[in-house]
Amino acid sequence: MNSLLADAAVAWQVARKDALSELRGRYLAGSTLFFAALVLLLFGFALGPDSRRLAEAAPGLLWLAIVFGSLLTVARLHQLEAEDGALDELARYPVERHAIFLGKALAAMAALVVLGGVLLPVVAILYGIDLAGAWLALLAALLLGAAGLAAVGTFYAGVTVRMQAREVLLPLLMLPVVAPLLLAAVKATTVALAGDPFGELSAWLQLLAVFDVVMIVAGAVTYGHLLEE
Amino acid sequence: MPQTTIYAAPQAREQTPPPAVATHELARLFGRSAALVAVSIRVVRGATVALLGPNGAGKTTLLRILATSLQPTFGSAQVDGIDVARRPDAVRPRVAYLSHATGLYDDLTATENLRFAARMHRLSAAQAGEAATRALREVGLLPDADRRVRGFSAGMRRRLALGRLLLRRPSLILLDEPHAALDPGGMQLVDELIRQWHAEGSTVLVASHQAERVIQLADGWARLDSGELTEVGGDGVTVPATQPVGAPVPAVGS
Repeated sequence: MNSLLADAAVAWQVARKDALSELRGRYLAGSTLFFAALVLLLFGFALGPDSRRLAEAAPGLLWLAIVFGSLLTVARLHQLEAEDGALDELARYPVERHAIFLGKALAAMAALVVLGGVLLPVVAILYGIDLAGAWLALLAALLLGAAGLAAVGTFYAGVTVRMQAREVLLPLLMLPVVAPLLLAAVKATTVALAGDPFGELSAWLQLLAVFDVVMIVAGAVTYGHLLEE
Repeated sequence: MPQTTIYAAPQAREQTPPPAVATHELARLFGRSAALVAVSIRVVRGATVALLGPNGAGKTTLLRILATSLQPTFGSAQVDGIDVARRPDAVRPRVAYLSHATGLYDDLTATENLRFAARMHRLSAAQAGEAATRALREVGLLPDADRRVRGFSAGMRRRLALGRLLLRRPSLILLDEPHAALDPGGMQLVDELIRQWHAEGSTVLVASHQAERVIQLADGWARLDSGELTEVGGDGVTVPATQPVGAPVPAVGS
């Protein structure tokens, strides 16, 4: 029990440190949010003025924007560590490696939840969809989707952080793995916006939850090896 | 009483504390290039030892292995009798390492950087705050405590990294070019800290190009060249009797 509390305290310290750096550097507001909003806008132009077509595509485009945003977020959170030897310093602290992973994933998840929270109304305005009545289901999908993206992204950002071609390798490694999450998140968002007429929502949310648990456990177990040079 | 003899020997061995640092035929390869070649050395507890040698001699590699940042390719290294490769978790609380890089977070303030380090060393929030303030005072950065590190000069960053070593009392302190980037006042601070750690009983290994300066502070020295241990001298550092071929030691003793 004491060990769990100690690990939770370490994870909180790492997450707090990352969140402070992210907020003060204004990376989320300055680049990630702008980039994700731009993706939504360009897809809107590409799909044309057909409002029905835009509304149908909205859940998929929302999650594509969040996934693209997650690439920037997790890369940035690890770049903080790569600057001036901070990653080596982090690896030398006498703490459990899974606690460091959980802290970094928590910070990434918080950033992605904020990103999704800002993009949802943007999607509603751009693509003419009605969010009223679906808030709770959308929040559940967003939290579960962000957790999975954060876990996978944190792991692969750890894999690539010491590599020179990390900007290219991170999406190549991460995107195929998050494909099931993307499918489940888009489906959950679609049925939530439609009012869940066939009762599918819980199944998609459960799939997201299972994906999250598997990726969080796998990341926590293996992340320590990534910290070793 | 043969039984008495049998049991007495192991007890006697257990009572002798292991050396602060002991390496046995320690080697590290980077690709085909050897950064360390069969280095066997012992450092007595509480000694201050200067690691000397030109660029590429293997000083940083040796320190990084002892700090658990790097795995040896061959051989072994122990800190306080604990193998650094097999039990890094047990070694980390005993070791503090000042590397070339400062390992600081630019968007955090000086205090926040030290508090984070203190919390990662399992200090409570109150203890971390006190330790951070004390360390900032000792390295002369208290007036800049609430400034973000991004605006610090290289010398101030170095001082802050030194402050991180003052948050706790490790048994082994590893310093890699501690005088680099510092003004004369900063260099004097490093010298004073080394003397202070020595007086407190910590073992200090200092890798430096400033041979004259660090030898004055050290009990003994070891010289590396092209990854090989070529010379040891003074007190506090010895070479085991079975020094391997490939690491000749021309002079032992002061």
